[in-house]
Amino acid sequence: MASAADAAKYAADLGYVTRYKRVSGDAVEYEVFARKTRAEPLHQVGSVVAPDDDLAMAYARATYDEERWCEMAIVRKEHVIELWQPGEVS
Amino acid sequence: MSLSDLVLSIADNKQMLGLRYAEWATRAPSLEADIAAAAMGLDDLGHSRVLYGCLEPLGADPRGPDRESDPASLRALPYFDKPWSEWAEFVAANAILDTAFTAMIESCVNGSVEVLQHRLRKMLMEERYHFLHGRSWLKSGINAEPLERAWHEAIEWFGPPDGDVAVLHHEGKLSLGPQELRARLEEQLEMKSPDIRVDWKGWDPVRRRIKPGAIDERTFGMLRGLEEKKFAPSSATKEA
Repeated sequence: MASAADAAKYAADLGYVTRYKRVSGDAVEYEVFARKTRAEPLHQVGSVVAPDDDLAMAYARATYDEERWCEMAIVRKEHVIELWQPGEVS
Repeated sequence: MSLSDLVLSIADNKQMLGLRYAEWATRAPSLEADIAAAAMGLDDLGHSRVLYGCLEPLGADPRGPDRESDPASLRALPYFDKPWSEWAEFVAANAILDTAFTAMIESCVNGSVEVLQHRLRKMLMEERYHFLHGRSWLKSGINAEPLERAWHEAIEWFGPPDGDVAVLHHEGKLSLGPQELRARLEEQLEMKSPDIRVDWKGWDPVRRRIKPGAIDERTFGMLRGLEEKKFAPSSATKEA
């Protein structure tokens, strides 16, 4: 079996550079939003954890595919700006 | 080989890809990856059923009775002969082979055969998420061996420069020939394929592979429903 260094060199030779390691520190939480009809607003249906946007899209689609959504979107949780939280006064 | 032979090859490969994906539904590195493996498995098994359904409208169904008794009559690639033992094999199949099959489906959808244009289009939308999943995991770095094996088998599967796929391309039934399919795969994955030289003399045009062999006995039994029967109550077995 090839070593991790061999694998990294091979990936680099093929044009890929390993940009992150798949450890929990690199994982990002994404909120998943969806709606069934154009008439209803997008609402949060859950969240996924993934190291990048591509994988988060694949995970969101696989995890929340139980309904016939007409729209689905994901947002990095860190990009959501909270105005106030439960228990706080607006 | 006819267009029906090619469609059967896509169907058999997608069926095996779906089964192998599903085997990882509880073994992937994260819960999300488990769910993705199960979802992609379901997608590909569904795609194979649609593809099998295209054989009759195409006018010729190349499936013979030997498919019930001879695992070597199935047209899947050697990559699927045995269950995958490491995650890197899953990733290489997901990134390289799944995308290669999608490139061929795209070539069918953009070709001149109406039944394929209409019935296969939806697969391309679903495959987008398989591609994102495979490419992302590939970028994280995997062992070289399964990656190189997957590339080799994808290029073998596209066929020789003057083979059936090239002829179907010239006839307009496929929008891409073998070279264009390889270029499409490289473009999609944003990487050059390894330097692969295929000795086409030993290539089996029906199974679109060089290596002999066939899927393992348990998987072949599962495809025919024999594994299920093992779990059936004895009274049900007698009635059957």
